[in-house]
Amino acid sequence: MVIERKWKTWVYFYIPLTVFVVGTLFPFYWMLITAIRPDAELYRSWRAATNTPFWTLQPTLEHFRDLMAKTTFPHWLWNTLFIAVVSTAISLFCGLLAGYALARLRFPMAGTLGTSIFVTYLVPPTLLFIPLANIIRTFQVGDTPWALILTYPTFLIPFCTWLLMGYFKTIPKELEECARIDGATRFGAMVRIIFPIAVPGILSAGIFAFTLSWNEFIYALVFLSSPEKKTVPVGVVSELIRGDIYFWGQLMAGALLGSIPVALVYSFFVEYYVTGLTGSVKG
Amino acid sequence: MRVATTARRRDIQVAYLLLAPTLLLLLTALAYPVGWEVWTSLTDLSPLKDGPTAFVGLENYRRFLADPEFWRAATVTVVYAAVTSVAKLSLGVGFALLLARPFRGRALVFLAIFLPWAYPASVSVIGWYWTLNPPIPTAYSVFMGNVKYAVDGVLGGGAWAFLSVTLFNIWRGSSFIGVFLLAGINAVPPELFECAVLESKSAWRRFWLVTVPLLKPFLALAVFLSLTTAFADLANVWMLTAGRIVYPVVGTHAYWLAIRGGQFGPASALSLTLVPFLLAVLLILFRMFDPPEKERA
Amino acid sequence: MAQVMMKDLNKKYDEVHAVKDVNLHIRDKEFMVLVGPSGCGKSTTLRMVAGLEEITSGEISIGDRVVNDLPPKDRDIAMVFQNYALYPHMTVYDNMAFGLKMRKFPKVEIQKRVQDAAEILGIQELLKRKPRQLSGGQRQRVAVGRAIVRHPQVFLFDEPLSNLDAKLRVQMRVELKRLHERLETTAIYVTHDQVEAMTLGDRVVVMKDGWIQQVGEPLELYGRPANKFVAGFIGSPSMNFVDVKVADANGALWAETQGIRVKVPPIHTSRLVPYKGQQVTMGVRPEDLHPASGSDPREYCFDAVVDVVEPLGSEILLDLRVGNNTIVARVEPTNRVKVHESTRLALTPDRAHFFDLKTELAI
Repeated sequence: MVIERKWKTWVYFYIPLTVFVVGTLFPFYWMLITAIRPDAELYRSWRAATNTPFWTLQPTLEHFRDLMAKTTFPHWLWNTLFIAVVSTAISLFCGLLAGYALARLRFPMAGTLGTSIFVTYLVPPTLLFIPLANIIRTFQVGDTPWALILTYPTFLIPFCTWLLMGYFKTIPKELEECARIDGATRFGAMVRIIFPIAVPGILSAGIFAFTLSWNEFIYALVFLSSPEKKTVPVGVVSELIRGDIYFWGQLMAGALLGSIPVALVYSFFVEYYVTGLTGSVKG
Repeated sequence: MRVATTARRRDIQVAYLLLAPTLLLLLTALAYPVGWEVWTSLTDLSPLKDGPTAFVGLENYRRFLADPEFWRAATVTVVYAAVTSVAKLSLGVGFALLLARPFRGRALVFLAIFLPWAYPASVSVIGWYWTLNPPIPTAYSVFMGNVKYAVDGVLGGGAWAFLSVTLFNIWRGSSFIGVFLLAGINAVPPELFECAVLESKSAWRRFWLVTVPLLKPFLALAVFLSLTTAFADLANVWMLTAGRIVYPVVGTHAYWLAIRGGQFGPASALSLTLVPFLLAVLLILFRMFDPPEKERA
Repeated sequence: MAQVMMKDLNKKYDEVHAVKDVNLHIRDKEFMVLVGPSGCGKSTTLRMVAGLEEITSGEISIGDRVVNDLPPKDRDIAMVFQNYALYPHMTVYDNMAFGLKMRKFPKVEIQKRVQDAAEILGIQELLKRKPRQLSGGQRQRVAVGRAIVRHPQVFLFDEPLSNLDAKLRVQMRVELKRLHERLETTAIYVTHDQVEAMTLGDRVVVMKDGWIQQVGEPLELYGRPANKFVAGFIGSPSMNFVDVKVADANGALWAETQGIRVKVPPIHTSRLVPYKGQQVTMGVRPEDLHPASGSDPREYCFDAVVDVVEPLGSEILLDLRVGNNTIVARVEPTNRVKVHESTRLALTPDRAHFFDLKTELAI
């Protein structure tokens, strides 16, 4: 890099960096502080002499306890996990096969199909939830996890396919050809050679799919109605806000707990994720 | 010749076999709904209505185009999409450029910047809601209430709530765009940037003459994703205004009509009005970056 | 061990006709090299033998079997790729054992064969490593090892040395030759490097634009090229070509152009008679030109002006101008000519070549 004067580095680098980081993290900090603040402090007057808006002196886990004991939050966690894992698995399976076919096999309409699958990823859920609600009603899977497990792949598969296709293309064709000469069938070469090499790509597609399913809101809002069947994103919003009464401590506790799985997944795999995104990892 | 085609036919069969699950799912869960929606938008279908469903032609569309409420929602949507996209893009470029150079603790900063996007939106949105629109009985609600009244006083009722939505969208979206562009910068050979340093002294010129052109495909895709999500934004608006929509956008309008009002026909028509917008944006941006199948060459 | 036959082989892509009417008989235990510039169809031909490309028309047989219809795995061949194509997620041992495992060999047999191959190639120490921990030369050896453990009927090599640096390439070339002599297996080897082709091949096929130009033993291609392309492609630096007019004077034929007037050597005279008064292309290799001395007959000498002197140590290359033509001569390192000087050159008469101007075929 170019050598710069010190004050310049501060003005152009450290100060903006700090501003950005504080900006992105502040809401999380605010949630955390609210979650561990006792109710008494939470609802104290703004002008009270003892008011400490940015920190708390009596941290408590009472909201977390209430959340686990008094609400159906544990159900939501389980529902969300189940739905996210199953729909991710389905999408990865389809995406792997389709991505391989589009990247490696020559067949009529390959280009058209590839583009259309890519374009379907861009169809926003706002366009789809009305007719999908109709289908869900027809199949009578409304208010069950299957309603979401069947609809989430609509946006997960296109992305998985697209990402994995890009990844497969970065794997030299000769590896597979060599395997086929070595005695493997095309399918065998795919399973024994290509898929193991594509693990980083598969991982990043999986993480992506998992996050999207975990975070999904609209379909979950429309297709699920019983309180104990909801997912975390919807449950937290719809069950912890009743009329104008907000259970702020619990809300924040739920918000934090409910996103721990995703946050964990990311902190471990973020490198894979980014490289997988550009499909540019080389063996 | 007979021999030559068997191997080829085997390949084609395998290809379609591998694509079958994907196509099947996408057909039932995407193509059918879209078709259904187009048809429904031409009828007065409603689950709340007795009697047969009538075909009404373009009536639903005509009614919208004459409805000032629709034009208000459309204007809000366009402004919302444009403002958030510009902000997200500038911030995202900033993130990416800052993170492009190595420094101690980069991995941590990276995670911090990525977190807003990786975090479930519906959950983090509550954090924002709590921060910007605190309900009455909380400690600092008086303070935020004053801010809200001040903003609403200048811009009209609901402005502060809408500003919150915009801020949230920018906060979350710039995180994603930043990471996305960083991946793009990493994919460009560093020699190109080093060469640029030798060529020009001005960092600003370098940015416009080298960085931006090199990142063009990534920028185009980022703009597209940003615009489409903003156009179709329902979840954010819905959640940040707690379902009490003050500034309607097209998406929330449709949700109200369909789910709350049971008017499937008009709701479908309304959703479909987004399509020409999206297609136009798609076409313009596809010219700027190579569609996926071209990379194969 | 087997022979490979190609009959009227053709390959057409959508717009490109990559391989045209190739007929080739590769004998049992023969080391056959396909050589030519990029895009000449040599790799496509090899890949059709491997079964990686469909055959548009024609027939390939390995041993007594027509293999057109067989998938690659049933052709009993092994292939070494330019980028080695080592499976990055497997150790060297597993890479070499993969083909045997796929063919359900007993474990003991696999172990024995891998050990044997590793010993031949001197890579016993590397068996537990992953490909990314190996140097280029080591990867190359593993790729070859993976091919030989299988004891296939035919080895296919697709530019296997191109990714190595020059020194290593020469060394591996020798090793491949030794290996072939030891294993005595039919081999088809594709390269764009004519030196590799000449040193490795029992016979060499020169291809261009999908057509076979000439098939023959290396010295045959060098000594009696069938056409101008082969003449220019084989040998380095390449053959000098000068367009000359065949003239009849003093009871002999002369090749004339600006600055050169040399007698047509007796061995060519009868074949050049029909070209009397016409233009032909004369070809002389740089090594067949030398500074004229008293013992050289005057009718094989001409004058040239030195443009560039390239001393290579064991020899000197002179770039010279004669009339409108530029030619290269390869002379002894003791030669002391200087740039811009005029010098007198003689050619070795029976090493001159003549080609038809239009068909470019040797006369």
